[in-house]
Amino acid sequence: MLVSWRYRERKSLIQAFDPSAWIIFYACFIVSTLFFWDLRVLSFFLAIALVVIFTSGIKWREMYRAWLFICGFVVFFSLLTFLTGRGGMEVYEQEHTITTLRAPFTLFKWQPTLDITVERALFALSMLVRVFSLASMTILIPYSINPAHYGITFHRLGLPDKIAYAMDLTMRFIPTFGRDFQLTMDAQRARGYEIEKLSGGIISQVRKLAPLIVPVTIHAIAGSEDIIDAMDLRGFGIGRRTWLVQLQYRRRDYVLMGLAALILVGSVIASLFGFGKFWVPESLLHMVGG
Amino acid sequence: MNDTKPLSVVIALAAVLVVFLLVAWIGPIINSNLQLDETALLRFVFVAIGLLAVFVVYWLTRENTAWVIGTREVVYMAIGAALYAVFSYLFNGTVFVVPSVSQVALRPAIAIPMFFGYIFGPVVGFFSGAVGNMFGDALTGFGLSPQWSVGNGLIGMISGMAALYVDKKKSMNAVLSISAALAAIATLMWIMNPTLANMMFFDVDAGIFGDAAISLFAGLSAVVGFVLVVLIRYVFRENIDLAAAVTWAILGNFIGIGFAAISDIWINGFSPTVAIVGEFLPAAGPNMIFAAILVPILIGAYNAVQRQIGR
Repeated sequence: MLVSWRYRERKSLIQAFDPSAWIIFYACFIVSTLFFWDLRVLSFFLAIALVVIFTSGIKWREMYRAWLFICGFVVFFSLLTFLTGRGGMEVYEQEHTITTLRAPFTLFKWQPTLDITVERALFALSMLVRVFSLASMTILIPYSINPAHYGITFHRLGLPDKIAYAMDLTMRFIPTFGRDFQLTMDAQRARGYEIEKLSGGIISQVRKLAPLIVPVTIHAIAGSEDIIDAMDLRGFGIGRRTWLVQLQYRRRDYVLMGLAALILVGSVIASLFGFGKFWVPESLLHMVGG
Repeated sequence: MNDTKPLSVVIALAAVLVVFLLVAWIGPIINSNLQLDETALLRFVFVAIGLLAVFVVYWLTRENTAWVIGTREVVYMAIGAALYAVFSYLFNGTVFVVPSVSQVALRPAIAIPMFFGYIFGPVVGFFSGAVGNMFGDALTGFGLSPQWSVGNGLIGMISGMAALYVDKKKSMNAVLSISAALAAIATLMWIMNPTLANMMFFDVDAGIFGDAAISLFAGLSAVVGFVLVVLIRYVFRENIDLAAAVTWAILGNFIGIGFAAISDIWINGFSPTVAIVGEFLPAAGPNMIFAAILVPILIGAYNAVQRQIGR
């Protein structure tokens, strides 16, 4: 019934470490990245992400769809940031114009104009680097951590048994429900349903989403009875849980966790001292006469 | 929450707040330009505040069986979180370009934590909302907004708090009154500031994000949603489950989204008016419309399945 992530054993940097140690490193990486907008600092995080990607041992054909989605998403949002300047106003106050592009036509007396500024261009680039680093580190996890280790990993991170097991099940259910959604959508499409062409007012449109959401949800709940029975029959929750797999931290895992803590603490301190804010090279400003 | 260690949870959360207060107090002595809203620290402080609030509610009502986590709850927590993550990912505007009506984009996924919270209890609701939002953001690559995950968790938890009250009808009336007051305050603030930008709306075709002023429909969405909920409350007054689910869901929605939006006053440096009008209203208002329509449909379908399974 469960569809699994495309995990398999590989010779990779991630799999050289204990999954709990890797999750700690990943969490510290994500949190630390959020502290910065400085392209130089973000390049450091990008470098880490690239090292992890190129040592992941995952072949292009295995996850090219995921990469295409991430790249499309990151480029789309960065381009949007560049065109509209959205989000940038929170990190810079002044803009230095490189050039202004004007459309050779007018729409109802309005001439579309695009101001290309140093700040917008660098902010879009910083966003691209930041989001790509976060997204790529995230997407590698399901390919690199054995689903059988999810529960024990969360347990070793200090979560109570039941919550750890719920996290484990959540990660296992996500691809299953993704597939169920696709099947349901195909089935409804065969009956003439088109999500792209929902019409009517807001209430009518929301009602028309029910043929997708309700079957997937109710099928999931109805199907869960077997899982509940299987867990109850094995005495789930009646005592302290033991796990089939025993994981042990090795020296390299402690080194990785130490490095993660160092990056996190360093990021917090640097951020408190005002380092890592949005950065524009002086030379670029001189070039545009700023 | 049988196997949690309550004291250690409180100590951990309190420690986060103490460390932050120390940073806020000592920090300016070392760095006179220290502005905490420009660091990511505040996000995690609000996570601690949100979790502390959840813990206080649990502690005050800990004798109630609604907090017990058995096998069913563990499985439903996982199903709720996974469904919320998958639907959030699919309907966030990047996978399907879902249509929007007058700045109100279709985000139907919010019905999941509300439904799971009401049917399976506050713990399932909180987990579905918080963990589902976290995984949904991770799948999309939106980064990390942990205070919004806690806000989503609160939506599910409060939807499930109906189970804490024996007299559902009486509790519903109180909940409706509070929700009416919250909807009225937010809408009144919009009427006084109608030109503020809609911070939550992303128009794919025009490439607008947080730039357009709130439309009339988005501004009135909390009132529209509230009227829908009141209608359901009275039209389905014989079906107490349906009416209670929708009623509690809107309170959860107001408090959960309100928590996340208000935290942005400190985190993003928004003014209280921008946080309420630009963020809270366009997020919470449409959510109420989805809740009023999709939650009853889900409950109806679930009741039918329950009769079939016989559990």
